[in-house]
Amino acid sequence: MPELFFRTRMLTALGVQGLLALLVLCVLAAPAQAHRVLVFAYAEGDTIFTESKFIPNDPVRQGKIEVLDAKTGQTLLTGTTNDQGKFSFKIPDQAIAQKMDLKIVVEAAMGHRGEWLLKAANYLTGAHTAGIPAAGPAATPAPSATAAPAAAPAATAGTINQQGLEAALNKVLERQLGPINEKLTDLTIHRTTLPDILGGIGYILGLFGVAAYFLSKRQKNT
Amino acid sequence: MHISEGVLSPAVLGGGAALAAVGTAIGLKKLDYEAIPRVAILSAAFFVATLIHVPLGPVAEHLVLNGLMGLLLGWLAVPAILIALFLQALLFQFGGLTVLGVNTVTMAAPAVICFYVFRPLLRRGGVLGMAAAFACGATAIMLSGVLVAAALLFTGQGFLQVAELVLVAHIPVMIIEGIITLFVFLFLEKVRPEMLEGIYA
Repeated sequence: MPELFFRTRMLTALGVQGLLALLVLCVLAAPAQAHRVLVFAYAEGDTIFTESKFIPNDPVRQGKIEVLDAKTGQTLLTGTTNDQGKFSFKIPDQAIAQKMDLKIVVEAAMGHRGEWLLKAANYLTGAHTAGIPAAGPAATPAPSATAAPAAAPAATAGTINQQGLEAALNKVLERQLGPINEKLTDLTIHRTTLPDILGGIGYILGLFGVAAYFLSKRQKNT
Repeated sequence: MHISEGVLSPAVLGGGAALAAVGTAIGLKKLDYEAIPRVAILSAAFFVATLIHVPLGPVAEHLVLNGLMGLLLGWLAVPAILIALFLQALLFQFGGLTVLGVNTVTMAAPAVICFYVFRPLLRRGGVLGMAAAFACGATAIMLSGVLVAAALLFTGQGFLQVAELVLVAHIPVMIIEGIITLFVFLFLEKVRPEMLEGIYA
């Protein structure tokens, strides 16, 4: 009998330690992540680029992308992500004309799905300078044109320069802000951390504590 | 295993919620004072196991432990899984509140089914019991995969295609869960046989 008792105690100790070690190992090895799908989109010129991934960093391969008008839910276009989880498309004219906010939905296999809302303001600047060059700065040369007829050629040259400048600036800004945008998107993802998990366990134990309390009262009464 | 929000049709969502409600009601009816710590521990274990991803070959997969829960809890696994999923949806937007019912059914139904299928074998103990414990853990995962595929059937994704994808991705998980269930069963049989009372009751 003492031998059996000893074995039992050792097993308990080993089991508890083993379980703890396994849990700690899991938590340390993989920064705990749910199988959530993230899609984000940004505009560059007249093209919208999207990138879809399983958090933290697995691309969604061959995921179905759907671009919708956020207000009406009308599908504007669909596509499939490549092996890097990327998909890009030219901004639909309809979207520019109606200043639509675009809802971009990715559907990965096994019922995983992610959404991203791209506000009209975030892609229209690039689309304007690339698509309708004469629209924006048309009003600005007016004062200089009234000054002297001789100055007119110079003024038009100025507007061209201005447009070119704006486009160039946009391009440079987009390039420079790209990484910052990406970083910001990355920061908005809620990553599951150890305190989150411990909090969840606390909730569960608390809820069952409440249940135990009521059951114990009932038992006393009967 | 968690289906995201906005994928399923309202009919499937409603059906899942109704089934989950019935299962939870049965589970709560069977919940007595002595069982509460067991349910709480396994609910917490499920909560953690389904959150943590272990990289296995090409994809990172997480454990589900629903076979183990079925083995130890029977019908009580339904409320245990429901609570853990509810908290995951609330705290991590993992799954979602509208799909809570469906997700509960896909993970809890296999637990209950495995409990009834393998209970006679588990009672006998010995090699047969060990085999049954392994099969219990592995089968529960497989059934979950089939149920996920069935739920997605109405969204236009082909059943066989999705089922194949889910099952292939979960083969390593099936084996690992089978082994875990086997070891926990053997361990409890020796150390804390009273935790297995569900099987012998």
